Amino acid sequence: MLKPTITELLKTSLRSILKNKGRTALTSLGIIIGVTSVILLTSIGNGLKNYIAQQFESLGSNLIYVLPGKVFNESGGFGMNAAQGLLSTSFSQKDIQNLKKNLDTVNVVIGNVELAGKAKYRNKKEDVTIVATGYEYGKVSNTIPKEGKGVWFSKEDEAKKANVGVLGADSAEKLFGNENPLGKTVIINSKNIKIIGVAEKKGGGLGAGHLDETIYVPLEVGFSFAGNRNIQSILLQTKNKEEIDLIKKQTEKIMLKNFEEDEFSVADQSQILSSINSILGTLTIALSGIAAISLIVGGIGIMNIMIATVTERTREIGLRKAVGATPRAILLQFLFEAVILSCLGGLIGVLLGGAITQAINQFFPAKVTFISVFLAFGVSFAVGIIFGVTPARRASKLSPIEALRYE
Amino acid sequence: MKTKLSFIAIKKVFLLQLKNITKTYLSGTSEFDALKDVSLKISEGEFISITGPSGSGKSTLMHIIGLLDNPTSGEVILQGKDIARLNESELAVFRNKILGFVFQQFNLLSKTSSLENVMLPLLYSDIPSEKRKNLALEMLAKVNLSGKLKNLPSQLSGGEQQRVAIARALINNPKIILADEPTGNLDSKTGREVMDLLHKSNKEEKRTIILVTHDPDLANEAERILVIKDGKITERQNA
Repeated sequence: MLKPTITELLKTSLRSILKNKGRTALTSLGIIIGVTSVILLTSIGNGLKNYIAQQFESLGSNLIYVLPGKVFNESGGFGMNAAQGLLSTSFSQKDIQNLKKNLDTVNVVIGNVELAGKAKYRNKKEDVTIVATGYEYGKVSNTIPKEGKGVWFSKEDEAKKANVGVLGADSAEKLFGNENPLGKTVIINSKNIKIIGVAEKKGGGLGAGHLDETIYVPLEVGFSFAGNRNIQSILLQTKNKEEIDLIKKQTEKIMLKNFEEDEFSVADQSQILSSINSILGTLTIALSGIAAISLIVGGIGIMNIMIATVTERTREIGLRKAVGATPRAILLQFLFEAVILSCLGGLIGVLLGGAITQAINQFFPAKVTFISVFLAFGVSFAVGIIFGVTPARRASKLSPIEALRYE
Repeated sequence: MKTKLSFIAIKKVFLLQLKNITKTYLSGTSEFDALKDVSLKISEGEFISITGPSGSGKSTLMHIIGLLDNPTSGEVILQGKDIARLNESELAVFRNKILGFVFQQFNLLSKTSSLENVMLPLLYSDIPSEKRKNLALEMLAKVNLSGKLKNLPSQLSGGEQQRVAIARALINNPKIILADEPTGNLDSKTGREVMDLLHKSNKEEKRTIILVTHDPDLANEAERILVIKDGKITERQNA
């Protein structure tokens, strides 16, 4: 058995670290900041991913979108010429009829138009997104008003081109406050729209936030807002998950009769989701990488302090050697001091990062991932070893007599 | 460690033997011999003083005896083993088990209690950890410091600090105590206490004491007095 044992050396290192609490805190600070920021950034990235996935689920299931332009390239990322296609292509009622006729196993085919608009009620004016869509949209996208909150517009409303609308939850609150919006008339872009329902809240305040600051109107009403009969996107719902791929292929085939290949895209939710996730993932990794640089800086801080410590404690090292410390014992003692400093920093960083994540989570989706904790801790351990070895070797090689003579 | 010497009958095995030790220091381009061809035999239980003017080589000799420094030439044989053949770790074991040091500057660890200072050599020994505290308590009792176990060196007088250092030197029950000007930083009364402790350990425990001092009165308390001058040693027996 090698003397002293690892446990005894760890205790020795811990004791000398605790004798210098102020310096210990300052030395660990670099690592604390580094680990905290890595944990925070990965937590926010991860939280955002979960949040977006949830949002997509709340939009409804088994959905296929036909969008203008080549939005998605082969590998699933967003295409370069997406914007170009968005501007040049639009669909028509004829395309919807085509799809309805040729696809026999889909639940619905809905044309959509989205416009920016202003909603006015009495003296209140709010920005809203006008979503002109089919009567089936409410059910497909889980937007149907709850009991007591009115109804979604019907097939008849659509056929009559009735000027009725369903307000998004946030818009309803902003325009009406405590008043009941049902039956009231709102002026949207100088057109009177009767409110027949208030949509279920989609939640959140990020990206998809406009889902609650909306007014849903029948497609024909949307056409009159836009001044043309162009349809921006087509929404399909398959009967079940298994049919998504098949319907996508069929849809593509039907659309190709009237459009060039790069004029439209057929995508399902998972495809859109994975594109967003890959962007978020890259962003998270890049930001965490930048944060990880501070871990290296923290490591250099530890090395600096350890070198200073070895010089300052030259007499101690000489004495330890005189009373029988082997070079190994000295090496390990100082290496452990460096590792304890960095791991302590890592531990505090993880706790701090976790606590801040919890706090942020109150108003922003963030969730600590196990892997980020594991990684941050592992990296701080490695930093301790890498930056602790040089000072520790220097200590172990000191000649006892030179060390004892040192003033 | 096995030695081939073990089956050769030797009438008297010396505890420590120095054979033709020379220590040369290089200062710039010129060489300076701190020790010149020094030979010495030390047996168990002796009380030896090494004395001489400052710069005479006292400390160099003590460092070589204490295995803290290597001679330029010559042999150091401790308990029948040629020191030159040992590596750093084996030397550390010898320093831990056979030797105990008492320094002029005390060299206690600051911010560390008397008890822990005394226990320090045990960290590097085979003594099981559960026995260490009792052993240290025993040593501190021996130097009359049972009441100051928790005190830090800064809370102790010079004499008390040196007594802690003696307790630390004794704890591994070494064969030799090397005391380098142990009273150099103390007044005569506390210096006397320290000397008495060394004498007591020599008489009662048959420990070899090697005292380095420039004080002729203290040197005269030893049985053997080694006088170093210009790196050469002369010996006189005390009456």
